Amino acid sequence: MKKHKYIFAVLLILFSISNTSVAQGSKIDPIVNLAYFNNNNHDQHILVNTKAKINDHFQQLAGIKVAVYITAQDPVNLVGKGETGEEGELIIFFPPGIKAEWMKAAKQNFIAVTEPSKEYNAATGTLDITKARIKIDTAEDKKIIAVVEELKDSVWTPIKNVDVKLAIKRLGGDLSVDEPPQYTTDSSGTISADFKRDSLPGDNKGNLVLVAKVEDNDIYGNLSIEKTVPWGNKFTYVYAYDKRTLFARRGRSPLWLDIMAYSIIIISWGVLLYLIFQLFKIKRLGKNSP
Amino acid sequence: MDSIIKQKITEDLLPQPFGKKGKIWLAVLTALCIVGLVAYIRQLSNGLVVTSMRDYVSWGIYISNFVFFVAISLVGSLITAVLRLTNVHWSTPLTRIAEIIAVAAITFAAIIIVVDMGRPERFYNLFIHGRLQSPIIWDVIVITTYFFVSLLLLYIPLLPDFKILLKFKEKTGAKLNKLYRFLGSFWKNTPDQIKISERSIGILSITIIPIAFSIHTVTSWLFATTYRPGWDSTNFGAYFISGAFLVGAGGVVVAMYVFRQSYKLEKYITESHFDKMGKLLVMLALLYLYFNINEFLVPAFKMKKPEEEHLTGLFTGEFAPLFWFAVLTAMVIPIVILLFKSGRKPLPAFIAGILVVIGSWFKRYLIVTPTLLHPFLPMRDVPANYRHYFPSWEEWAIAIGSLAGAMLIITLFARFFPIIPIQETLTETEEHEKA
Repeated sequence: MKKHKYIFAVLLILFSISNTSVAQGSKIDPIVNLAYFNNNNHDQHILVNTKAKINDHFQQLAGIKVAVYITAQDPVNLVGKGETGEEGELIIFFPPGIKAEWMKAAKQNFIAVTEPSKEYNAATGTLDITKARIKIDTAEDKKIIAVVEELKDSVWTPIKNVDVKLAIKRLGGDLSVDEPPQYTTDSSGTISADFKRDSLPGDNKGNLVLVAKVEDNDIYGNLSIEKTVPWGNKFTYVYAYDKRTLFARRGRSPLWLDIMAYSIIIISWGVLLYLIFQLFKIKRLGKNSP
Repeated sequence: MDSIIKQKITEDLLPQPFGKKGKIWLAVLTALCIVGLVAYIRQLSNGLVVTSMRDYVSWGIYISNFVFFVAISLVGSLITAVLRLTNVHWSTPLTRIAEIIAVAAITFAAIIIVVDMGRPERFYNLFIHGRLQSPIIWDVIVITTYFFVSLLLLYIPLLPDFKILLKFKEKTGAKLNKLYRFLGSFWKNTPDQIKISERSIGILSITIIPIAFSIHTVTSWLFATTYRPGWDSTNFGAYFISGAFLVGAGGVVVAMYVFRQSYKLEKYITESHFDKMGKLLVMLALLYLYFNINEFLVPAFKMKKPEEEHLTGLFTGEFAPLFWFAVLTAMVIPIVILLFKSGRKPLPAFIAGILVVIGSWFKRYLIVTPTLLHPFLPMRDVPANYRHYFPSWEEWAIAIGSLAGAMLIITLFARFFPIIPIQETLTETEEHEKA
């Protein structure tokens, strides 16, 4: 019985050592996600996101080396490579070199491969997309029309039941043109909406930028298109450079500040000069006294 | 008054040559200043990159030191002006100590601000191109004004002492006699001179109070006029002034003890002085504690997100050890020590004063730096050392060198001039005897 106890103890120690070494030696498997973006039907890029489950929480992985290929993992099909940033993301724009491969088919496949490192195993992520485009136009009475089409047998064909956002580009994000934030295409692949954002400040000519977007679509990815329309209010720049303000340049401080500051300076230094004068008076008195 | 007593008082208060301890002290201070200077030369030749200050923490221990110097300089107005104007006569032996602390501190406040500049040779541009709208310009103006007011408040009461010092050529030496002659041989103690001098001191005492309040209020505005957690406060002016009076009074207590021991001035800086200064310190520490509670409790109650990061950093986070150390040493422990009569004896009061000064230095650091590490926009894509701040050896050397420099001014002043006003002591003793 005693002997068994020792065997059990040795086994337990061995098990724990082996377990520790496994834990120390085990590397993390990253998860690689890809997303396709097509802006204005010519700026195309792939966004690679790397993350992993560490301590039961998903964390974005920075500094992961990634290579992205089109069609197959072959050096001739390399779209680009790079390293993920702090948010675990990497953007790779389509280089001219992949044009031939891109033009071959209406449906394309992208493969992202991560390099193994001390902490992480190699991982692969894939993305299938169907080539699509989005068109935007305007009609009378500030009507906006957008059409979504996909490439089928070398012909652009309208797609129905696709969610499209219609918005105006603003500094902090997109502002929807009307109450509904998004619209669904009909059988002709079309959506239409009325522009209901009157009195919106535009640029100095009153221009606003309309944008139609398909976001995170499983088949077509992310599509967007922009159109400039003169539907905003003209923005008049107020030239405040020469105005007397707290934030103005030197010599243009507000009058109240000038009066206050210079009064204080004059009074304080007036007193100081008076006292220095008194010192000279003391000196003179001393020299004149026997 | 008996001429023997007069003679005794005068001889007691004459500046004395350094003893062995004094020489060691002088050598240590000089060495620290030289190390600081070497570090500054390195900073000048290599640029501010030798410091640990980067994009986020652009105000490190130089500015903390600057705020500390400005704070401690306020004591000149407290002891000299406030107590003089309120007819408090017991503070007479302490006025010169307070004034030289003020002059030394404000001198180094001005120097350290130039040290913080990347291109100090462009300093003059501040005057040529400075914008009156900027609190930095207000600070430059008010520091310059305060320096001259403090210098006058140190110099004018010294005039009667020069007449006495000139009589003791044998004791003070020929070189010093020459200096006294240059500075005050014109003082003949005529009634007219006394009248002008007293009126001037009265005017200075009144003038220095608003200027002293301005200097530290404006310094607080350098922070409070920016919209940042920990600085965005309407309470900052009063908070800074109360803290300044505390550290200044703490500094005077320390200097009182050191001069008392070094120059055997027990008859002039008495236990009663420590008792009264101790009580004053307790009051000032309680006042500062009140402002601290006010400064932290209100934002902590609301806990707005950016404030939360800043406050938790101070209370329980990265800066917590330093924060609680500063609160305990600058306020709580000195209050506990000085509340008791036995704690207001010279040695415990001196220890309390040291604690106040050290705690207050770190308090200034905690006012300046943690806020800079909590910007509203998250720090992204920056090197790791941008996210933390620990001063480089050059910064430490320069900061310690500047503190040593201020103490060197005080030490040398006490070597060359009477640290307790002789004439005023004689006059007060005479008046006391008459009464």
